[in-house]
Amino acid sequence: MFNRVGIDVGGTYTDAVYFRNGRIQNTAKVPTQSENLVETLMNAFDTLKIANEREINQITVSTTLVTNAILQNRIPPVKLLLFSGNGMKVDALPWPVSYTELSGEMDFRGREIAAPNHREWEKLQLSLLRDNFAHVAIVGKFSHRNRLHEEKLAEYLKQSNSTLKMALGHEWGQANFYRRSLTTYLNLSVSDLYHQFAQQLQTAVSARNIQAPIYILKADGGSLPLAKIRPIDSIYSGPAASVLAALAQTEPDSSSIIVDIGGTTTDIGLTLAGIPLLGSKGAQIGAFSTLVRSLAVRSIPVGGDSVIRATDQGFIIENYRLGPAYCLGGNKPTPTDAMRYLELIDYGDEKLAENGLGSLLPPEQRTPKILHDLATEIIDRVVERIAEAVDSLKREWKEEPAYKVWEVLHPHENKEFNTIVSGGGARGITKALGKRLKTSVQLGAFPEVSNAIGAALARPTFDCTLHLDTYMKQYRVEETGEQGKWTGSLRPYREVEGFLETLVQQQVAHYGIESKDMEKEPFDFFPIVQNYQTVGQIIRGAVHLRPGVIGRVQE
Amino acid sequence: MKRTGILFFPAFDWSLGDSHPEREERLLYTQEQLFEEGILDLPQIKQFSPRVASLKDVLRAQALFPNPGVHTEGLDPHLISAGSSLLLGEAQVNGDIDNGFVMARPPGHHSGATVWGNRGFCSLNNEAILVNYLRARFGIKRIAIVDTDVHHGDGTQDIFYHDPNVLFISLHQDGRTLYPGSGFINEKGGPNAWDQTLNIPLPPGTGDEGYHYVLENWVLPRLQAFAPEMIINSAGQDNHFTDPLASMNLTASGYGRITELLKPDLAVLEGGYSIEGALPYVNLAILLALAGEDYYHVREPQKLKRTSLTLAALKPYIEELKKQQQTVKQGFTVQNKPNFPKGNWIYIPHSVYYDTEGFQETRHDYVRECSNCAGTVFIESRRYTEKSILVRIPFEACPNCEQAGYDLWEHLQQPNESFTNGLLQNQLHDKQYVWNRKEGMREF
Repeated sequence: MFNRVGIDVGGTYTDAVYFRNGRIQNTAKVPTQSENLVETLMNAFDTLKIANEREINQITVSTTLVTNAILQNRIPPVKLLLFSGNGMKVDALPWPVSYTELSGEMDFRGREIAAPNHREWEKLQLSLLRDNFAHVAIVGKFSHRNRLHEEKLAEYLKQSNSTLKMALGHEWGQANFYRRSLTTYLNLSVSDLYHQFAQQLQTAVSARNIQAPIYILKADGGSLPLAKIRPIDSIYSGPAASVLAALAQTEPDSSSIIVDIGGTTTDIGLTLAGIPLLGSKGAQIGAFSTLVRSLAVRSIPVGGDSVIRATDQGFIIENYRLGPAYCLGGNKPTPTDAMRYLELIDYGDEKLAENGLGSLLPPEQRTPKILHDLATEIIDRVVERIAEAVDSLKREWKEEPAYKVWEVLHPHENKEFNTIVSGGGARGITKALGKRLKTSVQLGAFPEVSNAIGAALARPTFDCTLHLDTYMKQYRVEETGEQGKWTGSLRPYREVEGFLETLVQQQVAHYGIESKDMEKEPFDFFPIVQNYQTVGQIIRGAVHLRPGVIGRVQE
Repeated sequence: MKRTGILFFPAFDWSLGDSHPEREERLLYTQEQLFEEGILDLPQIKQFSPRVASLKDVLRAQALFPNPGVHTEGLDPHLISAGSSLLLGEAQVNGDIDNGFVMARPPGHHSGATVWGNRGFCSLNNEAILVNYLRARFGIKRIAIVDTDVHHGDGTQDIFYHDPNVLFISLHQDGRTLYPGSGFINEKGGPNAWDQTLNIPLPPGTGDEGYHYVLENWVLPRLQAFAPEMIINSAGQDNHFTDPLASMNLTASGYGRITELLKPDLAVLEGGYSIEGALPYVNLAILLALAGEDYYHVREPQKLKRTSLTLAALKPYIEELKKQQQTVKQGFTVQNKPNFPKGNWIYIPHSVYYDTEGFQETRHDYVRECSNCAGTVFIESRRYTEKSILVRIPFEACPNCEQAGYDLWEHLQQPNESFTNGLLQNQLHDKQYVWNRKEGMREF
C-alpha cells in the first residue's frame, strides 16, 4: 500500500493530507504565508505528524501560485515575436499582450513560403537591447510543422545577447497559432516564479528529511515530477484536485457530477465511466487563451456566502461576498442563512438566520410561512444555477465536434449519473440538488481538505500524439513539439505502430512514469494523392494515460 | 461582425474510392489552416457538431429509385452532410447565428429530383433537402439558391425547376467546355416557374473582377427583385486558379468578395479539388467574409499563372448574354395522356448520365400547368428496364393540383401499368409515401 502526502497551496490556506498504507492518517490546514512558503510547508508537514519520513513514496502538490500570479497580473513582460504570415488578420483576435510581427512564412505542411528578412532582425536586435527585455518568445504560424524560422531567429539573437531567456512556440505542438503564442508567452513569463517555488518546496521537504520525489498536479488532473512539468501546466490544479477527490469516493466506473460549493464560487466537474471530462479547448486564464489541457470545469459565481439583495420583484443572488453569512455574524443575508433557517445545516445562529432573511421582506410579511417559502426559493435558485452549469458541461461532452462518419453514427450513450457534493454549503443543498438533477446525491468526505486528497491520489497523465507525413518525410509529436525526419516507408502500417511505441517508451522514461494502462487511439490514415497516384500518407495516432486516482478514500 | 456558425465535417474516414478526388485528404489541409489560424477562437464563431438527416428529410426533396432500401448502404456520409446543412439552417432560422458555413463532405449539387446513384460525386442534394425542410418545418416561403461552383448545379436546378418560390441562380464555366454540359441561358424554369431559374455560363478566364461584375450587375439585382427570405450559397471552390480541371482564374480573396457581395444566410460547400492550393485559403476567406472579418490578408502561396480576361473584353460579352437570356421565350409542349387527370400537362423529356457508375437514366417529366400554384409534377424514370415514378404535390398546392396528384398516384399503381416503384412527394401535407408493387406502401 502507498504512503503519500498531498498538499494544496491556496492563496489563504494550505491544506495537507497524509495517507499511510492507503488510508488517511492525518489532515492539516495552516494559513498560507505567501512571503514565507518554506515555513508554511513545514508547518503543514509538522501538523501531519509523519512518524517515519522515509516510508513516504510521493509528495504531490497543487498550487494556485501560477494561476494567481497571472490573474493578478504579477508576471514580468515578455517580448513576443511573431512570424504571422498571411491569412486571418492577426488582430482579428483579442491579444492581451503586445507583439511584433516579422516576415517569414510556412504553410500547413511545413514548407517555407517566404524566408525571413534579416534586415528586420538587425533592427529587432537593437530594439531588444534598448528596451532591455530579458524574456523573448518567438512563435511562427505553422511552426508546429516546421520550427526553422523560430530556431534561426533564436540563434541570431543569442549571438548578441547570451543571457536572453527565450521560448519557442513549436514546443507547444498543437495547431492554433494564437493560443500557441499566448501559451509560449505565459509559460516563459511564469518560469522564474515557478522555479523559485520549486526551490522553496525542495528546501522545505529536505528540511523535514523527506526523500520522496515531489510531483506537481496539472490542470488535466495528472501529476508529473517537479522538474519535468511545464510551469503553465500547473494552473487550475485546484478544481482538478476536487474532481479527483470525488473520483476517489465513487465507484470506479461510475459517472458523476461533482459539485464543490465554496463561499463565493461553486466548481462543477464531470466524470464519465470513471474518467474526468477534459475540456475541448485549452484552458482560458484571465484574458489568455492557452493550449493547456485542462479538465472541463465550470466555475459559477455563487456560493454559501453570496450576498442576497432585495429587489422590486423579490431578490437576486449577487456574485460577490461581503463577509460571513448573517447567521454567522455577518451583515447580509446569504444562501447559508436560508440553509440554517430550514435546518439543513447545524452551524450558525437560528434567530440571526431568521432576521437576515426577514431583512429581505417588508416587516408585515415576516411570517414563518413566507420566510420558509423565501428560504426554499433561495436554495432552489442556487441549485438552478448549478444545474444550468451541469447541463452546459453535459452539452460540451455530447456536442463534441465529430470529424468522422463512424463518430457521428456512434454518439455518446446516455449515462446514469450520481452527484457528489463537497464544500461548506454541501449539506444544505443536497436534497434540492438531488431533486433538480434527478440523481442520488452523496456528501464528499473530508470536505475541508478535499483538494489535498485529490493531489495525493493523482496518477500521472500522459499523451503522445504522432503526426507523420511520409511524403514530406517528417514526423512530429504534439505534446512535446518534437520534430524529426521520417526514414521509413511511404505507406507504413506495422512500422508506424512500432515507431509510436518507441516514442512513448522514450518519453515514459524521461518523465519517470509507468506505461501500463495506456490507451491507444486507432490510427487515421490519409492517402496523399497527386495526379491519381498515391505518393505517401499522412498518419495520425495517439496514446493516452487518462487522469485517475490510485486508491480510495475510506472514512 | 456577424455571429457565424460553422459545421466542419471532413469525413476523415470516408472516400469515394482510392485516389478519388472525393477522398479523406480533401479537407485535411483546410482543417490545418482553420485550426492554426485560431478561427474557432473568434468570439463570433460558433462550432456545431453534425447530425444525420432522416430518409423523410431526403424524400421531401428527392426520390430514391428504385426504392430507398437499395441506397441505404453507402448513404451514411451523404446523410450526415445533408443533416449538417439542416442543423445549421435551423440554427440560422432560430436566430442562434446570423449566418453559417456548412463545410461538409460529400457535396450534393449534381444530385437531382430522382436519384439512381452517385453522379458528379453527389448522391444527395444537401441544399435542396435543407430548402424543403425549412419550408416544411418553419413555413419559410421564398428561398434563393446561388450556385457559385464552377460546374452547373444541374441537380438543384432539376429539383426546383417547376417551383416559383425557389429562385435558382447558377454561375458556372460554360457547359460547352465543362462537365455536366448543361446550364445554358435558355434553361429558365418550367411553365409555372418561368424565369425562376437563371443560368449564367461564363467564359474560361473570367477572373475575380469579371465574376464580381456579373454578381453586381446581374445576380444581385435579380436577387433583390425576388426578395427571398433566405439566401443559400452553393459554395464550390473550383473557380480557383489552381483548380486542375476548370479555368476560371479566381483567387481566395476573390471568393471572400463573392461572399461579401452575396451575403448568404448559409454557405454550403460543394466541389473544389485543389485540396492544397485552393481549399485551405478559399474556405478561410469565405468563413472570414461571413463573420465580417477582413479576408484581404488571405493569400494563397501560388501566384496566378495566366492573366484573366479584361473587364473591357468581358463586359460586352456579358451584356449580350444578358440580353439574349432575357429574350428567350417560353416554348412548351402540351401532352395530355388519356389517363392523366384534367388539365394541361406540359411534357419535358430529360436524360441524366451517372458518371460515377456509368449508366443513363431516361426521364419523361410532366407538370400540370397552373396559374394558382407550382403545379403537380409527374416524373417517369427508367434505368435499363426498371421503371419508377415520382408524383409531387407541391407546397401550397391548389385543390385542383392536389386532387390531380392523388388521382395520378392511384392510377399509376393499377395492375395494367408497368411501374414497380414510386414516391408520392406530398409537400403540401409534408407526407411522403414510398410504394413498391410487391411490398406495398410505406409512409415517411
